[in-house]
Amino acid sequence: MSAEAECPECAAVIELDDDVVEGEIVTCTECGMELEVVPGNPWSLTPAPEEEEDWGE
Amino acid sequence: MTPDGIDRGGAEELLEGLVRIASPSGHESAASHFLVDWMSRHGFDAQVDEVGNAVGVRGDGSREILLLGHIDTFQGIVPVRREGRLLFGRGTVDAKGPLAAFAVAAAAVEPQTEWRVTVVGAVEEEAASSRGARHILESRGNDPPIVCVIGEPSRWDRITLGYKGRLMLDAIMRVPLGHSAGNLKLPPELGVDLWRTVTAFCEERDAARQAQRAFDRLMPALQQMNSANDDTHGVVTLTIGFRLGPRDQPETLPGELEARLAEWARREGITDMQLRFAGAERTHKAPKATPLVRAFLASIRAAKGTPRFVLKTGTSDMNVVAPGWPATSLAAYGPGDSSLDHTPDEHIDLAEYARAVEVLTAVLTRLTV
Repeated sequence: MSAEAECPECAAVIELDDDVVEGEIVTCTECGMELEVVPGNPWSLTPAPEEEEDWGE
Repeated sequence: MTPDGIDRGGAEELLEGLVRIASPSGHESAASHFLVDWMSRHGFDAQVDEVGNAVGVRGDGSREILLLGHIDTFQGIVPVRREGRLLFGRGTVDAKGPLAAFAVAAAAVEPQTEWRVTVVGAVEEEAASSRGARHILESRGNDPPIVCVIGEPSRWDRITLGYKGRLMLDAIMRVPLGHSAGNLKLPPELGVDLWRTVTAFCEERDAARQAQRAFDRLMPALQQMNSANDDTHGVVTLTIGFRLGPRDQPETLPGELEARLAEWARREGITDMQLRFAGAERTHKAPKATPLVRAFLASIRAAKGTPRFVLKTGTSDMNVVAPGWPATSLAAYGPGDSSLDHTPDEHIDLAEYARAVEVLTAVLTRLTV
């Protein structure tokens, strides 16, 4: 049975694949937010890191 | 202490030893041999390859994780010294810190049966040739690595996903001289006008595309401008570097610039203008939903960090290998503050270096289990 977790932005219930792993990036089907899979009974979701910009190499 | 017995002191000794050997682009041999010697003593099958890259391999599986750092540095001497936990010296950040972290982490992880881990200290990354990375790209042929991490400073808790592309332009104009009290523009004034035409081209293009972020914009930089008189004519030369956004195609951009500058030259009555383009690299932005990014996110969180993504305005060997390896999971990573790249104050925090080794060790473990 696949796991479910709640989107922290819009509270939509997101079904996770059976083979989901920590650190995976998923997109909320309701609000489109990028989310990171983190450990938590068995999984929970947190907003994926934002993209920063940096000068240089 | 890592499983193969490299303690904190050993990891710092490797980095400081590398930094003490000056290795500006084209003069990397001593540093490459130093790193190869270290890797040979720490479980790698290591050698200096045909172009001078330091290459060390652990394991013999068909699935390759490539840790592609560079062993050359920007020019200039920064005296090597320690101030507390800070190590000063040319290359501490760009990019011997990331390269040494690769070697220490790879030495600490025993590769699983089907995997091999390759550490490369590539030559000439700081030169437009990117000779070392191009050789690695060509040597893989139709067998690219599954995963490739580029060794550049990102900070220990950030993952670099993209680098802007690049294009260089040399513009040479030969124009008749006139009296400075007359109404003819003097050669240096035409040089300034050409530069203004270029900046206007870039600004209009960005505005049309609503490019707001530095990563998305076409950014010109006037790197040199010279003028000299040649009997009855003046010669003006400009070197302009462009940092490309994801929508700027290095194949078509020269033609667009040529058209705009030709139109300007006609208006100014300039009949002798040469434009030479070189050093084209396409912008690359790696996707986030990859096994490599997953491993970094989880490993940074396991080390009590809050992971972040970063896009860089510069160019790296990621731009060189990415077009040839579309199926490879790519990211750049390494300890250090890239704002110190090329500066006389270049230094690295050794505590951050140790944390990057910890993260890389965890990444390699997660990828190969």
